[in-house]
Amino acid sequence: MTRVKRGSVARKYRKNILDFASGFRGAHSRLFRTATQQKQKALTRAYVDRKNKKRTLRRLWIARINAVARRYGSTHSGLIHDFYKNRVLLNCKILAQVATLDAYSFLKIIEEVNEKKS
Amino acid sequence: MRLGRLASTIAIHIRGKDLPTYTPSVDMGAFVIVVNAEKIAVTGKKRYQKLYRRHSGRPGGMKVETFDQLQQRIPERIVEHAVRGMLPKGRLGRRLFTKLKVYKGPEHPHAAQKPVPLPISDKRIMLDK
Repeated sequence: MTRVKRGSVARKYRKNILDFASGFRGAHSRLFRTATQQKQKALTRAYVDRKNKKRTLRRLWIARINAVARRYGSTHSGLIHDFYKNRVLLNCKILAQVATLDAYSFLKIIEEVNEKKS
Repeated sequence: MRLGRLASTIAIHIRGKDLPTYTPSVDMGAFVIVVNAEKIAVTGKKRYQKLYRRHSGRPGGMKVETFDQLQQRIPERIVEHAVRGMLPKGRLGRRLFTKLKVYKGPEHPHAAQKPVPLPISDKRIMLDK
């Protein structure tokens, strides 16, 4: 085997990890060995939380729809039931945004559904 | 007015769960003023049997009072205790608790904020009346 000097390989490897960990608090962004652990944790948590994000956002949307529904005398579950029965399938929870930003349209949707019921 | 039912609606308004802009991480609820706190009622024998406990941290330092006695001593604390149990625990929950203002008697010092009567849409409370 020919002689191999390790050169700057190790430095580049460490720099890579420390760059990922920039902005972490205290030793987690400065020391290589703690930074490696924190990078691992951060990546794992990011993976898990990408899946959790879908759940938490849906919870928020449901809470908001519930708030508006109860103000007008029904509940979130009652409203969704009526929507499904009357084929207002377009209402993905993101259209809880409608309830927040454009309350008037949301009321119109509710009124239409109430008319179809009766 | 019943203690738990009142406390429950108060907690909902303080937390902001009746608003379509509800955000759980942010303090965006309403301030709530409660007056005539000494007129709060409980059903059954709770007036003489419901216990309020506190502990001073020292051994043997548990103190127990009944609803009745506490109502004569510091009636505001009854409502505060009930609502605090219904708000989230934690830093934000403690901040939310500061939005509750309870007063004995019908006067309160917040006329400058022009308070509006709280809209109660809880069926149990409406049926009570």
